[in-house]
Parts: sequence; structure tokens; C-alpha cells
Amino acid sequence: MKVTLDWLNEYVNTDGISPQEIADHLTMLGLEVDSVEELFQELAPLKTALIVTAEPHPDADKLTLCQVSVGDETHQIVCGAPNARAGLVTCVALPGTILPDGLKIKKSKIRGVKSNGMLCSERELGLSQDHTGIMELPAGTDHGLGLLEALDLNDILIEVDLTPNRPDCTSVIGVAREVSGISRRKLSRPVEEATLGGRDQRFSVDVESSELCPRYSARLITNVTIGPSPWWLRKRLLSVGIRPINNVVDITNYVMMEYGQPMHAFDFQNLAGGAILVRQPRNQETTFTTLDNIERPLEPSTLLICDRDKPVALAGIMGGLNSEVSEATTEVLLESACFDPVSVRKTARRLKLATEASYRFERGVDPGGCVVAMERAVQLLCELSGGTAEDMGRDAYSGVRPLNSLTLRISRTSNLLGMPFDYEKISELLQSIGIRTKPKDDDTLWVNPPTFRVDLEREVDLIEEVARLVGYNTIPTTLPMVHMSYPEQDKNRRLRSQAQDLLTAISFSEAINYSFTSTDHPQKMELAEGDARHEQVTLLNPLSEEQAVMRTMLLPGLLENVQRNISFQKTAVKLFEIGKVFTPTGADQQPVETTFLAGVLSGNRHGASSSLHHKPVPVDIFDAKGAVEYLLQGMRLRSNSIDTAISFQIPATDHSETYTEPGQCLIIHDKDEIIGSLGKINPVIARKFGVKQDVYYFDINFDRLCAEPASEKSFNSLPVYPAVKRDIALVIPDHVPAGELLAAIRETKEQLIENCAIFDVYQGKNIEDGHKSVALSVTYRSPKKTLTEKVVEKSHSKIVKMLASRFEGSLRQG
Amino acid sequence: MEQELRTLEREASEGLEQISTANELEEFRIHYLGRKGQFSGIMEQLKAVPKEDKPRLGQLANTVKKQIEKAFSVKKEQIAAGATTSAAIGSIDLTLPGRRPEQGRLHPVTQIMTEVCSIFESMGFSVAEGPDVEQDRYNFEALNIPAHHPARDMHDTFYVSDSILLRTHTSPMQARIMEQQEPPLRVIAPGKVYRCDSDITHTPMFHQVEGFLVDTNVSFADLKGVLSVFTQKIFDADLPLRFRPSFFPFTEPSAEVDIACVICNGKGCRVCKKTGWLEILGAGMIDPEVFKQVGYDPEKYSGFAFGLGIERIAMLKYGIDDIRLYYENDLRFLSQF
Repeated sequence: MKVTLDWLNEYVNTDGISPQEIADHLTMLGLEVDSVEELFQELAPLKTALIVTAEPHPDADKLTLCQVSVGDETHQIVCGAPNARAGLVTCVALPGTILPDGLKIKKSKIRGVKSNGMLCSERELGLSQDHTGIMELPAGTDHGLGLLEALDLNDILIEVDLTPNRPDCTSVIGVAREVSGISRRKLSRPVEEATLGGRDQRFSVDVESSELCPRYSARLITNVTIGPSPWWLRKRLLSVGIRPINNVVDITNYVMMEYGQPMHAFDFQNLAGGAILVRQPRNQETTFTTLDNIERPLEPSTLLICDRDKPVALAGIMGGLNSEVSEATTEVLLESACFDPVSVRKTARRLKLATEASYRFERGVDPGGCVVAMERAVQLLCELSGGTAEDMGRDAYSGVRPLNSLTLRISRTSNLLGMPFDYEKISELLQSIGIRTKPKDDDTLWVNPPTFRVDLEREVDLIEEVARLVGYNTIPTTLPMVHMSYPEQDKNRRLRSQAQDLLTAISFSEAINYSFTSTDHPQKMELAEGDARHEQVTLLNPLSEEQAVMRTMLLPGLLENVQRNISFQKTAVKLFEIGKVFTPTGADQQPVETTFLAGVLSGNRHGASSSLHHKPVPVDIFDAKGAVEYLLQGMRLRSNSIDTAISFQIPATDHSETYTEPGQCLIIHDKDEIIGSLGKINPVIARKFGVKQDVYYFDINFDRLCAEPASEKSFNSLPVYPAVKRDIALVIPDHVPAGELLAAIRETKEQLIENCAIFDVYQGKNIEDGHKSVALSVTYRSPKKTLTEKVVEKSHSKIVKMLASRFEGSLRQG
Repeated sequence: MEQELRTLEREASEGLEQISTANELEEFRIHYLGRKGQFSGIMEQLKAVPKEDKPRLGQLANTVKKQIEKAFSVKKEQIAAGATTSAAIGSIDLTLPGRRPEQGRLHPVTQIMTEVCSIFESMGFSVAEGPDVEQDRYNFEALNIPAHHPARDMHDTFYVSDSILLRTHTSPMQARIMEQQEPPLRVIAPGKVYRCDSDITHTPMFHQVEGFLVDTNVSFADLKGVLSVFTQKIFDADLPLRFRPSFFPFTEPSAEVDIACVICNGKGCRVCKKTGWLEILGAGMIDPEVFKQVGYDPEKYSGFAFGLGIERIAMLKYGIDDIRLYYENDLRFLSQF
């Protein structure tokens, strides 16, 4: 909502209060002021100018060569306007001036003649649509004046960001009322009260549904002369950003801005049968052409204003082309009505047609204000268009609800706001903005909200008014008295935080990607047909194709992040994300939301750390596997020594993730169930995301990890007796996974074995083709005694023999 | 013989004086104390001296040898000590950087979110999370925002179907929790929220924390108190605060909370649009209509609710000037926090 200081002053005296103070007051009353600025600053460089002589251009028929006085200076300017004549006071833009449309004026030569500036039309100044000639200022206006001064355009615009609950402030009077309340100065309106209604009229008004149109008042004005509005009125409209059209339309707009009552003027000659009927469309009425000459589709529920035969306006939104006021209009039927907010909103939204009128009706127009605003408009029309008001008009108001009387408890007000109030204080505050009160009993007031405060319906609405008017900053600041209680912690949240800390400690940074992604991510990842991740939750109104569906996996987003970082020369990338993926469950149902943890690794293992200490080495699959092992260990979901539910398994080729490189994928199991995977992204897929270097990943259902019981912390006595370490180097066929050797050793359940580990795998010189040498180290220890050579040898040789026979192995020679 | 021993003693002691390096010392050892050295020679001669002179000369020879050996070992220690110091200078360049493990960083949104949550947890609030894809009922209806209400314009909503949408705020958790639990309640609900709006100051997804407290006799003054503590803690400063009236359909009275601009200290700048104030929170007393929807008696209970945007707080705390940076996951950005 825009108001100007000058306009406000018409209803409340603001002398001695600075514009900034007014703005601060309004903001603290809940009318948040967005900006306070001087108006028409773009016109400040323009000056008034007197055309001293005007002669034909020597070399062009339509151009005039003018000598122009601007204060003490005289300039030669070539002008193309037909009304450029000696003695005219007009407006000049001298070289260097930038016009409102951005055009910069320069010295120039037009057809060989020097021109030192430009004489401007009203349209070029943004003051009207008139471009028939240059601006004509009243004769006798001084030349050399600033245009702002000459046109009395110096004013200050205050723009308020209105919340939807304050339709009463969609008017200058509404804002002035708030200023009058806070400054305790009187509010005066041009028309305070009015009545309508009579007989013997030349027109009829009928409302079919009083629910959708609680009130419809109309008056007929005859002998109207259509023409431009006087400057003061045009100036007001311009200052709040409304384009002046003609006196009748301008007056309806002016009264709307002044009182907040949208109005419409019909050309009475075009209303068949002199009838106004407020109704919904008849069968054959499927479209309607609004005055902007656009054909709009109608729905059975669209509320229309019709004459005897046809629709003439979309109720509360826009008039029709067929009944628009034109230059030939002599009789005007003026509408001042109140329509149902929901009905107007539905139609305006459906047609994507938001107007000043619909903005106000959607929020709620004061049904009690229609007639007062009508009276004001009639006065202006008679004054400015030479019109005559016919008798008393029509007023259909069967839908107006009786005023409700509310009660307000002083104790409730005090308790809810946390400060003491009494009757005098409350009534003084409410009355400052025109809300009348009277005592009911010791603790209760009767309150009669005025009709323009459609938002005041309940006791709590009044308490808010009291709080607002007393000022939120005068309410004390206290801490609540509450029962002490222990807030239970959400386990998943705690584990998420733990995982985040673990991963950042090993140089992964955290990413957050949008939950919505491009539809084609599953195809891009080449997911198998039938993969559940193809099923996406689709947005009905996405912002773009790239954000059209809810993601079903985190990896594509992370791959995009890798690409972005590489393109900015960050080639060592380790990122993780913990976030939700969405699985649809059916039409009109909430999807299943599952939290996943995914990570990507690419480039140098040691990241950006100096190659002084770490020779650059690219990451490989063991970095990805190691990160997951570390994470599981950190979350106490896996340890080296004990079997846990979570395991890594090598998938059969056709059970690998489709986006991995063959042979470089591990499936993460929780017992028999798959809960994730890790591996190397297939370079073909990586390239689809613009990544040319190798990328490794892990991707785990984090909700499943959280559901897994963590191993309890429990103490084991520290060993008293020394351990004995024995190494084995076993040559086995290439295809035997080394991990199976460890598993086989663990399976023996040999009591003395404390630990076993692989410390080297070797192929090449001295090793038979198709074989590899695996070096294992086995640690023996007894909790009861120091082991003798003999005892260890007995166990160890058994292990060696078992390994050799089971895996076709031989002890490595030399 | 005796003369020879005295000379040897003198020469050795003088020779030792001159020695400054380990190599010279070794030469000295070989020359005097070695297997074929001077002393071995004298001991050899000792075998030939008359029997009666043997004990005296033998004792003398021993004393001399011990003295030389003692002086030798003192010199050796001196040289060794000196060697360590001089070797260190020049051979290890301590100006080289340390072997520093790489460190990952948490996303700034996570960092602020954690901070916000822990401030409220310290005040006894519990934390609850809800679905991102929400029912219209919880996102709007239960919060006193009926269909076709102009307040819906404040939320540019992404829809999945007629009744399913991406939550536009974390406030649905108010209704979800209150439906399940009885007062007293102290809860915060952090999470992602979505609005179809994208420009330099808006991303279509961002993070919010909703909080509410319901009990008997909770007042607007209490709301001011709790939020004052919060803003002081999160900005780590006793910043001027102001509460001003606003409108949310699910609270009444409603308030916006502004802090003195942290960029210009309230003097007025581009970030605060020259007002000197920055909006950081929306809040209010829970509307009786919301209580009725979940079956609470609005005469018995009162409470307050508030909501704040995490990205906004991070921007103010860290001086981030473009909200889109949050979701590009550029390591040059992430590594700064």
C-alpha cells in the first residue's frame, strides 16, 4: 500500500512529525514500512522553459526551430511537436538529463541544425499517456524553474507492506487512522456518513446471491463530460503509481485509494434494460471480454455483474469492454459494492488476474463503507465532470450481517500479555483508533468494532489490538515459569551428528543439495528397469525441469557437486551428504521418506595438503571402503574382532549397482538385507555428469544404520602375558579372495589366536603366473601364561596346513 | 722410561686441547690408545725394565693412561654435544609446514542449526522432526489457514497433489505434536522447507526451526524473554531487540522480531535497508483456533510459537551475501566455516 505524506495530511495533521517518525510509528503498529522516499526524483533535473521564437526548420517540414529561455540561458532546440509555438511554457530536458524511460539527452544536430536539448511530452515524463505534443504548462509559469516545483510534485512516498489481516489499511484514510491513533490527533474524512436508496429510478439492482454479494449500491450520474482530470487528482494517482485515464475512471480510482472501496463506472447507455443483476453465468455464457480486451473463460461459480441481457463485469475484479466509459459517455452508473472474499479470490487466481479491486475484495471490504465512498465519488463527479446525480440511487444490502458485540476480559488481557491492564487503559487504547467500548462488569468490557475492522471477530483479536496499541516494546520481558523436565533426545538425530563428526574428521566436507532434482537422474545413472528408484514423487508446479521431482538417491547431486568443484580447480573432492530420499506410495498419499548417507571421493587422497609430506596418490576403492569401515567402527556398529550384522559382500556381476565399474562394487548388508553399496562410479556415467576423473562412492540407508544396536562399551582386562606373532606367506591362485583366508582362520575358533591380518599381497617376480602371494600375520596369546615356542608352533602349523589345503596354496619359498 | 711417560702425558694432554672434531679425536685415540699406539709401545717396553722398577713404573704408566683416557672421554662428550647442535642447524628446515591431516567441514547450515538447537535444548526444549512432504491439513488447515485465504499468498507452495505439498514452514510440527501430546510442551522442530521462489535472496529450499511452548499461564512477556535469551546467545552479544506487530494466522498476537543490524550496528546500511534493524524471527501467542483443532482448551492453556530461518542467521553471522552459495557445495565456500 502506497500513501504520500501530502495525501495523509488531508485527513490527519502531521505537522511536526517527520516522515521517518511516521514510518517508524506505522512499523511499530504492525504496518511495516518498506520504504520512505522522495517522489518523482527522476524528474528533478527537468526545467520549465519558455519558447521565445519558433520558426520552421530550414530543411524539414515537420520540425520547428525554437529559441528557448531557461532562466538566464537561451538554448536552440529542434522540436517535432505540432504545438511548439512562441509564448508556450513547456518542459525542457537539457543535455545530460536522463528521462524516466532511461533515454539520455545529448547535444545533437538534427538535419544540419544544432539542437541543445529536448522539449518533452507528458508521456515522455511518465505523467500521462498524452504524446500529441509537448507539455503545456499554464501561461505565466516562470521559466527556469525545476519541474517538480512548477508542478507542485514535491512529496514523500511511504510504502507499507500490509499483512493480509488489515484490509482497513488498503486506503489512505485507513493508514491516516493509524497515524491519528498513535499521535492522538483527529481524523477527518471528506464524507463521514451517507445514506442511499429511493424509488422511481431509471435503473434496477437485483442480487441473486446475497452471500456472494452482501451489498450492492449504485447511482446514476447524468450530463457527464468525459475529459482529463485536473492536475491535483492526476498528481495524486501518479504519486501512488496509478495511471490517470479520464475524469470518471480517475475518480473511481481516487476514491478506492482514499476509502479502500473499489468502485466501477458503467456507461449507462450500454446497460440493456437499465438493469443490474448480480448473478452467476447462464448456460451459454462461457467467456467474457474484460476491458483490457482479453477474452476470459467463465466457470459456473464465477460471479458476474450483468445487465438485462449479458454480463458487463467480473464482480470485484474488472469491468467489461462492452460497458466501458468512453469519450462519448454522458451517463454513468456508479457501482460501490461488497463481494465475498473467497469468490473473488478463486476467480482472480483462476484467471491470474490480480487487480487493485481484487486485492481489496480478497482481504475483505467494509460492507458499511460502500455508501460513504459512493457519496464521495458522486461529489467529485459532479464537481469535476459537470455531472448531475439522479435522486438517491439503489442499495441492496440484504447480505450485510448485523454488527457483533464482543466481550473482552481485563484479566485475560493482562494474563496473556504478561502486564497489568485496567478498564481505563484498555478503552483509551481502543478508542484511539475508533473502537468503542463500555463496561460490562468488573472484569469485562463490551466492545463494538467498527465495520471497517472486519478482522476483529474474537476476544483474542481485541487483545492483539491492545498489545499493538500499547506497543510491544512496553510489554515486559520475563522468562516462563515451567515445570522442569528432561527433553528426550532423538536417537537418529544424535547418530546423524556423530556420523557428521566422524566423516569431517577424515576430511569429508558436508554437502546439502536440493531435495528436488531433475527427472532424468535415474536414467542418467542407468538404473536397471524395475529399480524402485525410478519411481519419483513429481511436483505439480516445479520451478524448472532441473527441480521437477523429489530425489530418490543422493548420488546424482553429489556427482554434480564433484563436477562443479573440479571445474573450479578443486580436483581433490571428498563430500558427503545425509539427507532424505522420497518413495511414492500412491496418489494423494505422503511418500515414504528415508534418510540416506552418501559420500563421493575423487582426486588426490591427501587432498590439498602439501605434496611435501604426501606424494599425491589418487583415491581408490579402499579409501571408500575404509571410510565406511571407519564410520561403522566409530558408530560402534562393527569392529575388527567380532562378527557384526553389517558386512560387505561381493555381488554377482548382475547384482552390482548399474552405475559402477565392473568388478568395483561392494554391497553392504545388514544380515541378509541390502542397506547400501560402495564402489567406483563407472567412468561412462561419471562423464555424463561432466566428471572425467575417477570417482568412488558409498551410499547407505542411514535409517537402517540407526536401527542397528550399537555394541556396548565393556571393559576387557589388559593382557598380562606377551603375545607371539607369526607370519605366513602363502601362494594361492589368483581368483581366491584374500579375505577368505582371514575368514577361514577366524572360523577355526582357535582359542590362542588373538588377531590375524593381511599385511601384503604380491604378484610378479618369483610367483607363478595366475597366483599371488598373500602375507598374513597371526597373533597368539594366552590370558593364563606365557606361550612357549612349542605350543605356538602346534597351533600355527595347524593353521598353515589348513590354509594350504583349503586354498590350493603353498608356502612361499625364498 | 719414567721420562718417556711424563713426555707422553704432556704431549697427549696438549694434543687433546687442539682437537675439535670427532675425526681428529679418533686419530688421537688410535695414536695414543690404540692397539699399536704409543701406550701399547710403552707397555711393551715395561716388560723389559728391571724387576725392582716394575711396580713403580707400572703404577705410573697406569695412572698416566687413566688420566689420558679420562681427558679423552671428556673431550669425546664435548664433541658429541657440539656435534648435535651444529648438525641440527642446517640439516632440518623447521620453516617447512607440518604434516597436517586434512580436515572436512560441516555445512554452515548444519553448524548454525546445531547451535540453534542446542541453545533451546539447554532451555529444556526437546527436538522433533517431521516429514518434508506434508499434508495440506497440517501445513495450512490445522494452522488456521483455510483454503482461499489470502494468507496462503505468503506461502508460494509446491504441490504434489491437491492435498499433498512440500511443507512451506516447519510449523506443521506444532499441530502434529499437540495432536499426540498433552501440555506442558517445549519443543523445537528443525528441518527443510520449500517455497517456489528463487532469486538472489530466495532459494526454493531452505531451513527453518520452529519452536513452541504450551503450558498454563504462558504470556507474551515470556515469549519476549525466551527469544531475547536466544538472540543474545546465537549472536553472542547483547544486541538491541525490537518486537513489532505482524500477522500469522496461527498466532495472535503475532510479532516479528528484529535485531539491531549486525553489519552497521544499527546505523543503517544496504543489508538492513537503511532501517538499522534486521528481521530474524516470526513469533506469537498460539491462536486459540489452533488449540481447538488439536483438542486443547484455550481457556486453560496458552503458549507461544516462533520460527526462524537458518540461512538468514548464517548470512548475518558469517556475512554471506548470496543465498545460492548454500546449495552449490563448492569446497571453496564450505572450507570457510
